[in-house]
Amino acid sequence: MLTFVTRRLLYSVPVVVVASFILFVAVRATFDPLAKLRQGHDPSALQYQITRLGLDRSVFEQYVRWLKEFAGGDWGVSTRTGGAVLPMIGSALGTTLQLILWGVLFAALLALGIGVYSAARQYSAGDHLFTGLSYLGIALPPFWCGLILIQALAVWPKQQFGLAEPPLYFVGLHSPGLSGINADYFRHLALPVLTLTVGLVASWSRFSRASLLETLSSDYVRTARAKGVPGRRVLLRHALRNSLAPFVTVVALDSAVLFGGLVVTEQIYAIPGMGRLFLDSMLAGDVFVLLPWMVIVALATILLNLLSDAGYAALDPRVALR
Amino acid sequence: MNHHHRYPPSALAGLAALTLVSAGCSTAADTSPAPQPSASAAVPVRTGGAIVIGAEQEPDCADWIATCAGSIWGTYIMQTPTIPKVFDVRRQGDNWVPVASELMASEPAIKDQDRPEITYKLRPEAVWSDGEPITSHDLKYTALQVRDGKDIFDKTGYDRIASVETPDDKTAVVTLKSRYGGWRTLFSSGYGVLPSHLLQGKDRQAIMKDGYDFSGGPWKIKQWIRGTSVTLVPNDRYWGERPKLGQVTFQFTPDTAAAFQAFKSGQLDAIYPTPQLDAVEQIKSGLPGANTQVDAQTGNLEAIWMNNGTFPFDSQPVREAIAYSVDRKAIIERLYGSLGVKQPAQSFLSPLLSRYAASAFSKYTRDLAKVQQIMSGAGWAKDTDGVWSKDGRPARFTIVSLAGNKRRELTEQVLQAQLKEAGFQMDIKNTTPANIFGKLAPGGDFQMGLWTLVDTFPDPSLSNSFSSTSIPTEANGRSGINFMRAKVDGLDKLLEQVDTQLDETARKEASAKADELIAAAVPSIPLGAVPNVLLWNQRVGGPIGINPVEGPWWNLAEWGLTQ
Repeated sequence: MLTFVTRRLLYSVPVVVVASFILFVAVRATFDPLAKLRQGHDPSALQYQITRLGLDRSVFEQYVRWLKEFAGGDWGVSTRTGGAVLPMIGSALGTTLQLILWGVLFAALLALGIGVYSAARQYSAGDHLFTGLSYLGIALPPFWCGLILIQALAVWPKQQFGLAEPPLYFVGLHSPGLSGINADYFRHLALPVLTLTVGLVASWSRFSRASLLETLSSDYVRTARAKGVPGRRVLLRHALRNSLAPFVTVVALDSAVLFGGLVVTEQIYAIPGMGRLFLDSMLAGDVFVLLPWMVIVALATILLNLLSDAGYAALDPRVALR
Repeated sequence: MNHHHRYPPSALAGLAALTLVSAGCSTAADTSPAPQPSASAAVPVRTGGAIVIGAEQEPDCADWIATCAGSIWGTYIMQTPTIPKVFDVRRQGDNWVPVASELMASEPAIKDQDRPEITYKLRPEAVWSDGEPITSHDLKYTALQVRDGKDIFDKTGYDRIASVETPDDKTAVVTLKSRYGGWRTLFSSGYGVLPSHLLQGKDRQAIMKDGYDFSGGPWKIKQWIRGTSVTLVPNDRYWGERPKLGQVTFQFTPDTAAAFQAFKSGQLDAIYPTPQLDAVEQIKSGLPGANTQVDAQTGNLEAIWMNNGTFPFDSQPVREAIAYSVDRKAIIERLYGSLGVKQPAQSFLSPLLSRYAASAFSKYTRDLAKVQQIMSGAGWAKDTDGVWSKDGRPARFTIVSLAGNKRRELTEQVLQAQLKEAGFQMDIKNTTPANIFGKLAPGGDFQMGLWTLVDTFPDPSLSNSFSSTSIPTEANGRSGINFMRAKVDGLDKLLEQVDTQLDETARKEASAKADELIAAAVPSIPLGAVPNVLLWNQRVGGPIGINPVEGPWWNLAEWGLTQ
């Protein structure tokens, strides 16, 4: 396993370098690093920044300089805020990770439960209900879903029952002056996690159902049943474990997408994560944030791919990692 | 520094255009041009307590003079409450005008001569939050930082400073190299006065950019959590009236629809939303227990910008015909009619500067017969598609604005329909603000645009936008904002007079004449003021009203919790 992980990590290095070069060229071609400065009225500020940022050199020279500094932990300075990029991305990543962690955990457990129920009771009323709900969940755009949840679980109960404050909050991750993991945190976290969960549960439950149904029709399951193994034991001990392998792969790959894909959820709930950082930086043409942001998302994708492969092997003994 | 381009609060704001409100509330909308005392003004308030206000944009940095600054929201929530200024902007009669602030012992005086001298006398009791007096050395430090600094957002006015003398701690004498009509903006609009005893010889940007712990105003910044909130607490050393509230938190809520929900649920006590379509719909539908103020006397002017250097707008008759094709009143009524704002702008000077403006554009009302006459007279004829054409080239062009901004998208669609009827084919191709203001507009790579010009001080200066010397070129570092490449005969001289005249009457005359010239050449078309909207709940009281320059929290010290 260790050899496999080491080899895969080493393979990833040229992938990251090539990807970062493509991203560098693409970002430079698309955004003007001096966009914000051009709205000012001091021409000397422009020239000062061109020299300071090395924008008067060739794109390749700029890339090599950037890569060296990036690898050395100097990720540059944001042209939007004037602040160091590394702590900006670190802070945003930490925030988004909280959403991903809770959202994926919650959604995976729920999706698995629904998948098992639907597969075990295929074509039952409950199966049809969950099928219908998952199509609805897949079709709901996050911004609409988020606003509906806010209205239904926060604004409406407060107004309907004359509460002093809404049962769930939806601005940021803490009330002013509070921090840490406490009741206030969970009251803030519930709605964004639920918004994130709706879409994930909808698609993952369909996947887990299909995967489990396929396993349940395998010869070894039929053999186990013929040998008189109880149905619940066949389902949970024999079929579920094997159906988990592709499920874990899908969960890992979808989680990678979430690193940069929570723009709308973070925007609605005013959460300063990776999605909002990307949006703010893109609108301001802040290439010095956009580049490392994209590299981090690419790294997350590579790492979670690796994790899904390792998970697949751990769950399915027929798969050997080399 | 008076004109800035304002970015949209959020490119995604339009995504959340969903109305989820219950009707039956009472609102006290004030649609008169200037803020009137609100219903809550008479409500007594108590001392202490805390409120949370929604802020739809987060400032990029708090080093107000650096290139990373320039956010109007930064001015509203941090700069105005903490940085002392020489001139405040206050309402006098029908106008907002600069008046000497509490920092000053007397009104600053200027000697009208070739090298004018301005004398500033500071109030003896004025101190910083650490107890150190605010001195003339602070004015000198600020002036030289801006004039000689390397990474400065805008040096306008400060680049005219020849010297700053400090005959005593409370007197500063600034000598200008030449006459400067906007001298009241110095140490006021945008920058204010910075503490030399804390910043001199140090890295100013490092100290200030993420928020600072000094203050010369009624409030101090307690904490700025990036992406989340800014918290203000009273400055115990402030020499003027102490704030009644014990703490004010500005929570960043970039999504308008969610901000309205947070306001309705009581998580936010006040909001100041950009009047996007969804916001207007929410207000129109009613918000339970909310007080509302709508103010059309703002510094925000939306306009249709035409690139005078590009076909077909390189032809004055075409520009005139466009002006007669557009029904501006109908557009404004559609956008803001429900807020009581119905009149289009008749000048490129925003309503904040109405005392300097003529109403020269009032002659341009929709008149298709006039369009026919002008276009035919200029040698254009309609082709088989009904589009004006000349020398085989149809009058087809593209408009660019900010993608995702529903208000502007609607405006574009109405424009498109009106222009089609008049024989012009307009395509829509929107993009990001960074692309427009960083690339397309400075490079002249657009035909028609739709964006807002923001006046940040009641001082007229159209030279940045209309003087031919402000056309972005390599020579000026592409830093001017005459993006439309307007070259109007005789205009530069008039705008120069507006910039340099110290006599107020002469300035007004020159400004009105400039307005007439602009309207005659129609380099672009003013559309209308973007109204300001303030909403607050019944927990909050005090003399609440919008200041179009300093924002709705200009008098936050007088706000309190209702008794």
